[in-house]
Amino acid sequence: MRVNRRSFIRCASLAAAGNAMGLRPFGALNALAQGATDYKALVCVFLYGGNDANNTLVPYDTAGYGNYATIRGPLAIAQNMLLPLTSAPNFALNPNLPDIQTLFNNKNAAIVTNVGTLVEPTTRAQFLANQSLPSNLFSHPDQQLEWQNAAQSGSTPTGWAGRIADALSTSYNPNGTVPMITSVAGDTLFCNGQSSTPVSVSPGNLGGASCSEGTTECGAQLATAQALLTFDTGLTLVQADDSITSNAYRYAQILTAATKSVAKLQTVFPSNNGLASQLAQIAQIIQVRAALGVNRQIFFAGIGNFDTHSDQLTLQNALLAQISPALAAFYAATQEIGVASNVTTFTMSDFSRTFQPNSNTGTDHAWGSHHIVLGGAVNGGQMYGTFPTLALGGPDDSGSNGRWVPTTGSVQYAATLAQWFGVTTAQLPTIFPNIGSFKTSNLGFV
Amino acid sequence: MRASGFSRACRRTFFPAVAFAVLTEIVGCSSGSNTTSTQNPPPAITVAVTGSSSARLGTTVQFTATVTGSSNTAVTWQVNGVSGGAAATGTISSAGLYTAPAAIPNPNMVTITAVSQASVGATGSLAESILNPVPTASSATVVGSGPSYTVTVTGAGFVSGAQVQVQGTTATTTAVSPTQITATVNLTLGMGTTTVPLTVSNPDPGGTTSAAVNAGVTITATVAAAARLLDQTTFGPTLTDIQHVENVGLAGYLNEQFQMQPTTLALIAATPPTPCATNLIPCLQSEWWQATLTAPDQLRQRVAFALAEMFVVSTNSVNSRAVVAFQNTLVNDAFGNFSTLMNDVTLSPAMGAYLNMLNSNKPGTVNGVVQIANENYARELMQLFSMGLYLLNPDGTPQLDGNNNMIPAYTQDQVQAFARAYTGWTYATATGGSATKFPNGTANYTMPMAAVESAHDTAAKTLLNGAILPAGQTAEQDLAGALQNIFNHPNVGPFVCKQLIQHLVASNPSAAYVSRVSAVFANNGNGVRGDMKAVITGILLDQEARAGDTDVNAPGGHLREPVLWLTDLMRGLGFTNNDVVAGNDVVANASYSTVGNYTSTLSQKPYASGSVFNFFPPEYVIPGTATNAPEFSLENTASAVLRLSLANTVVYSGISGFKVDLSATSTLGTIASNPGNLVDTLGMMFMHGQIPADMRTSIVNHISTLTDMGQRVRVATYLVITSSQYKIEH
Repeated sequence: MRVNRRSFIRCASLAAAGNAMGLRPFGALNALAQGATDYKALVCVFLYGGNDANNTLVPYDTAGYGNYATIRGPLAIAQNMLLPLTSAPNFALNPNLPDIQTLFNNKNAAIVTNVGTLVEPTTRAQFLANQSLPSNLFSHPDQQLEWQNAAQSGSTPTGWAGRIADALSTSYNPNGTVPMITSVAGDTLFCNGQSSTPVSVSPGNLGGASCSEGTTECGAQLATAQALLTFDTGLTLVQADDSITSNAYRYAQILTAATKSVAKLQTVFPSNNGLASQLAQIAQIIQVRAALGVNRQIFFAGIGNFDTHSDQLTLQNALLAQISPALAAFYAATQEIGVASNVTTFTMSDFSRTFQPNSNTGTDHAWGSHHIVLGGAVNGGQMYGTFPTLALGGPDDSGSNGRWVPTTGSVQYAATLAQWFGVTTAQLPTIFPNIGSFKTSNLGFV
Repeated sequence: MRASGFSRACRRTFFPAVAFAVLTEIVGCSSGSNTTSTQNPPPAITVAVTGSSSARLGTTVQFTATVTGSSNTAVTWQVNGVSGGAAATGTISSAGLYTAPAAIPNPNMVTITAVSQASVGATGSLAESILNPVPTASSATVVGSGPSYTVTVTGAGFVSGAQVQVQGTTATTTAVSPTQITATVNLTLGMGTTTVPLTVSNPDPGGTTSAAVNAGVTITATVAAAARLLDQTTFGPTLTDIQHVENVGLAGYLNEQFQMQPTTLALIAATPPTPCATNLIPCLQSEWWQATLTAPDQLRQRVAFALAEMFVVSTNSVNSRAVVAFQNTLVNDAFGNFSTLMNDVTLSPAMGAYLNMLNSNKPGTVNGVVQIANENYARELMQLFSMGLYLLNPDGTPQLDGNNNMIPAYTQDQVQAFARAYTGWTYATATGGSATKFPNGTANYTMPMAAVESAHDTAAKTLLNGAILPAGQTAEQDLAGALQNIFNHPNVGPFVCKQLIQHLVASNPSAAYVSRVSAVFANNGNGVRGDMKAVITGILLDQEARAGDTDVNAPGGHLREPVLWLTDLMRGLGFTNNDVVAGNDVVANASYSTVGNYTSTLSQKPYASGSVFNFFPPEYVIPGTATNAPEFSLENTASAVLRLSLANTVVYSGISGFKVDLSATSTLGTIASNPGNLVDTLGMMFMHGQIPADMRTSIVNHISTLTDMGQRVRVATYLVITSSQYKIEH
């Protein structure tokens, strides 16, 4: 770690000094760049708090729905409200996901079922024997981190997107002026690699800092402010903030220049929808990908409040009602830009929630969940993985409250996306160290 | 002393005590031609005037006229030819008693003339110098922050242009009245009480120096120590507070603060004021910001703020009435025992609603559906508020098993056991009693939740370390047992103390530091566990917290989170609320309710965290490093730009509804003609007087090019408050 920190700081001071050597903290120049010219982007939408998958995708056949309704009781969604899936007739979507239904039925979206954090394929018996389990199951921060770092514990300091950027930045983005990864939802583990750090963007605030002192003085003030970043008294935290701030100045300038004259997309994103604002910002950055010199990009977006321990129906419905039109608008925007088949969007979340309700018409922390993947490259209209047996204390329950033991590892899910993105088979074990423990590294959904 | 001072001044400046009078011989009374002695004169009448040839302002001089050549020796007295004199030149009585004027005339010489009443042509005159008075100093004070001190001398006889001499240095006079003079001077004073002798000198004409008077100055803390402690214990040091802590010292300041009455928030009225008639959040925000920015019990408010970032509730899903009461709970319990705090937080309607202990029913079958007890509070009380996920050593480091793996502190089964122990609680009745039905549909947001026993799970529960709550206990008994079980867990001290250190002092405390404080948590010296006052004292006076007082490069510190960054700017620069009526009136003080809108652009608004994990998690590690720095979770290339823009707003446009003076005529503006002084003052205000030399030089050089003093103030302030050296409080 010490070595990492040093190299981080060295890059930071180069950046702060305005060094013209072309070294970037997110990847050095590589004369052997492959010169890829096609464009691909991965867009992660993180559902913070643990989305209840049990009410996202619901059994629709008579027996399946009956079992669901009996156990879910006050949390069961009326069958006639559910949105059926043409090619998966035994299942239906939450009534607040009509756009996902359309995308699925149009084969532009797929659903991966009962996927969750795993060290290796695990059964209920192995769980009960406490055998090779991810650390701190059922804990929000830990499970968020484990989804993001694709590792056994949250303490691994790099995310899987960050490690992809480590591996691919030089070959795919040799002329990139911004990092491979952009976050529109703050800094997260997902985005951080060994040598790469993301650019963070505040949706709708792409430009530089405002200054009211007049053009001449603002320029001079900026120069002095940047000079202050180069004074090093050796304090670690000051160095870290100097680095972030100097990158902030630089990226703001680059992004402002790149987007200054870009045409506004015709696609209308829903208003009063935080996720939609984030995705609209991502769409704009994709629009100017050529100006930024990038052929591969990974984006991180997020939406919170899925921790529905009480009053779940109301809370989750409102959240899914934001996700559905936001994702639809984003897909439409990629069509407008002409990159619908070059952009794959997927969901992640801490965990799913107990199938059994609690006494506050809510649910508690669970494990395996269902996730949505969409984009023109997705082999859509299909469900992937194994749907769990919805029985309390049944073969897929880790205990007795309906916390499903995942039948697909989140690392498999991630590795599938990574391979579409350009990660080679040879690179897989570096980025996903425990992928070899699973039967397949590619689930085939994209 | 006075006599010698007087005589020294006399030697230097006094005219001879008695001068010869000018004699004018007037001969006869005829046509005025010059007379000569060769004529046969009538007896000549001459007038000679004697008396002191100088007079100090506000004093009298007795003149004597000697008339010869006439039996009528009466004279009339004139000053500058005016009988009886005048105010500007001094007056003189018929008996020759001259009273000097109140101010020095120009020129400072007047002519005293005696005119013979026997012959108006016979006069005698004397030139009288009018001199400044002799200053006398009777008492003096020296206050300030090293090296800059303000000296005030009280006495008499001070005139415009008077100066104070301190230890051989002439201080810069800032104000003079006849009885008081104020001046500033740089002094190097050691710790302890120093007796500083001061003298006052009046300028010429007749400049003299007073006898010395002594002022006692007690320096108990250096500027850096005082300002750093205030940075750690308040929402922003002010120059006045820094001086105060220098005098009373660090421990003295903490004791003062411990004894202050808590500043609590008024509960939101049943019929809310207009600004929050339809949305109660502005009422909470208004009261919170007002207390935060202005309450005298800053330490208590600051600790409560830290606790609010550990025991997180959010108006995103909790009624603001409940959050006001919750804030008061934290404020009231901040200096009590941690077990009391745990109990009061647990039973607060705000936490009950936020983490769903409110209305959590015993497990059972409802309408044919089997339900479980809500696990939310049971899990997070342990994970986030008291213990953490892993067994800890007393120094906060994780315990490891034989395979070098960390050891989980509790199991899912234990979470569910605690969840059952916490069942049966709902809103209290309006009078604070237990409701007759469960759940109680009538909210009582301000009183502790009350149990309905029929909703409580009475089965036995196995808790931490194998402790068992026996079957058949009441909800109160189970709750008390469960909280005691957690409170006594060895993790609580290191877990809680490390987070308090992170909020108040440093992101990365050494294991030894955590160990010293958690030992105090375990036993305050009198056998009491969980004494918050002892813990807070231990945190703030620890050698590691104080290392930066003397070593500016001592490792440590933490990033100023957006709220603390803004409050520090507002308190330091002297922002004051500009609403029509002051006081605890949320209508009148509506502008307080919008301050949080400024920080919310930086992802932080008090009591509006997006989740129970606070705005930033305590375990956050800066990407690409191994450095644990919680607040950096909010610091990225996007938020850094937004903070720069907010800094521009603060110095250029201010905060809506607040006034601040950064103009050329402001306190800072008047010293801006000397850029070094301006930057040093900002350095004192914001960086404990520890601004690095290269940074100081850079800012001084930059603002020296600006001719508008107001702009100098704005730009210098902007450069300081956006620098990483400042943003990292260290």
